[in-house]
Amino acid sequence: MSDNQDIRIKVTPSAPNPSDKAVPPLVDIHEEEDGAVVLTVEIPGADKDKVDVRVDKGVLTIWADGEDVQVPEEYVPTYVGFVGSEYFRAFALSDEVDRDNIQAKVADGLLTLRLPRASAAQTKKIEIKAG
Amino acid sequence: MPVFRWPNSLDPWAGLRQMQRELERLMGRGLPEARSIGGGVYPPVNVLNGNDDLLVQCEVAGVKREDLEISITGDTLMIRGRKVPNVDEEKVRFQRRERGTGDFSRTVVLPDKVDPDKVVANLKNGILSIRLPKSEAAKPRQIRVG
Repeated sequence: MSDNQDIRIKVTPSAPNPSDKAVPPLVDIHEEEDGAVVLTVEIPGADKDKVDVRVDKGVLTIWADGEDVQVPEEYVPTYVGFVGSEYFRAFALSDEVDRDNIQAKVADGLLTLRLPRASAAQTKKIEIKAG
Repeated sequence: MPVFRWPNSLDPWAGLRQMQRELERLMGRGLPEARSIGGGVYPPVNVLNGNDDLLVQCEVAGVKREDLEISITGDTLMIRGRKVPNVDEEKVRFQRRERGTGDFSRTVVLPDKVDPDKVVANLKNGILSIRLPKSEAAKPRQIRVG
């Protein structure tokens, strides 16, 4: 079973309101060769429809709900090393990011966001004309 | 490093912890708390005891099905896996790395005898759930008083 799922980015004026219990998820950020910035966010337990990514006034907010991971009622916990969490984290975007073309994907408990560089911010080689 | 975390509703220090986290965030001291919910190469596990079976949950966000290996020897369950980086590390420039990569293995001594032939494992949204039916001898039996 593949749980590769594409999600749509909402660009709305209001940011989600995380509860006090929300914890910041772990993030890897790297820059690709074409200048795009890729965020890999760990959101174990969160389903695709429980993920909310928004861009508002230059701030990228990531909210996800993994609280479904719970001890089923008929079980007695012998050892508990983790519990499902609500995840929330926000990032300020640089002006170089093309906000309209951010791509998001959820797979295997990871949210991957690809933030392409706006064409105006891409490195351009300028030819020097012979004078 | 494994860190024991109370379920939120039972944690008497939840409020203080939240405050500590906020302060650390403001002071840019990183996110030590986040280590306990994921990441690293030592995944946290839950062992749950039911009537007919045991349920072992393991948090393995970003680990592919084919990189996981589960084995049972006697009453010891071993979960082995590999957290591979999803990009070619030499080609890209990392700006921030909080998730760990590498091999991991966790060994769980099961609290009851299980039937190794009937074990079912399922991976969903980065959570591995292993259901281990108890062997007949280990099941609770009701004894009627005659």
